[in-house]
Amino acid sequence: MNDRRDHAHDEALERRARELFDSSVDALDAQTRSSLSRARRAAVAEHESRRRSAWQWWVPAAVAASVALVAVLVWRSPVDTPPALVQSGPGDTVDALELVVAGDDLDLVSEELAFYEWLDVVAPEEMAGQGSTT
Amino acid sequence: MPGPATLHGHADRPPVLEARASHREDSLDTSVTLDRFLAGVERRAFRIAQMALHDRDDALDVVQGAMFRLARSYGGHPSEEWPALFFRILYNGIRDAQRRRSVRSRIFGLLPGKRGGDEDDGDPLERIAGGGPEPDRQLMGDEAMQRLESALAELPARQQQAFVLRCLQGMDVAETASAMNCSEGSVKTHYFRALQVLREKLHEVW
Repeated sequence: MNDRRDHAHDEALERRARELFDSSVDALDAQTRSSLSRARRAAVAEHESRRRSAWQWWVPAAVAASVALVAVLVWRSPVDTPPALVQSGPGDTVDALELVVAGDDLDLVSEELAFYEWLDVVAPEEMAGQGSTT
Repeated sequence: MPGPATLHGHADRPPVLEARASHREDSLDTSVTLDRFLAGVERRAFRIAQMALHDRDDALDVVQGAMFRLARSYGGHPSEEWPALFFRILYNGIRDAQRRRSVRSRIFGLLPGKRGGDEDDGDPLERIAGGGPEPDRQLMGDEAMQRLESALAELPARQQQAFVLRCLQGMDVAETASAMNCSEGSVKTHYFRALQVLREKLHEVW
């Protein structure tokens, strides 16, 4: 019984406190309101300037990093590529690739699927022949 | 000649410029949101600081500092986090102002012919506010508000924070816990004790 009465009284107290506080907020004088508005605008301006300066710093940094990365890739690529091809298979792979990329055979490659089948058959035989002659 | 404008910008704008323009729009949006948030809390924050410090200029300084700190350090955070962050910063500012005041009054208390000040009545961390109602409030003639302020001033700091944030500011338990940097259970305990004390002090006069 007491608890229920206390709870009802607490609710009334909370409501009354809120009303009084809200009234006191509404009753603030013009000078204080003006000071608060000025402070708010200064804080928002600070936020904008910080965001802008961060952006102006990151763009040149990102561009410089991208340029450096491209330069490194270009510089390293001629050295890295040939060993990768040689390591990928036996010596006939290089020969077969030369046949494929030779300018004269480009039309043949593009039109004749049979060429690839032939290459599969011929390349091992050539390799065997080279092995027997040496 | 500028290209055709699209919904989000210019169709023929280079990607870097497009990204920069998009960023500016985002920044503008955040600034507008931040401005709205601060406009919504500035007066209430001022009254909370004024109730705790009993000084208009100190309260203005604390609110201004809280706005700057939020904008500078947490402006990039999601706006849902701002209320708890702002009031945590505000209460830190209030506590710092009370520390400074406490030190000042101790120094003046050592000087011959000077009094220490009425508000130096214990640990400032334990007691957010001290002293009686300020002249501005008396001039307003709002006795009920003065009684509430006096009753709040007698509460320990954490109970006062819990009551102000939960009841007067209307924050929920989770937000209040985040603002007070404590558990939700602690908020409930502080709030319950604050209500008990205020009920005792105010039920005769309200």
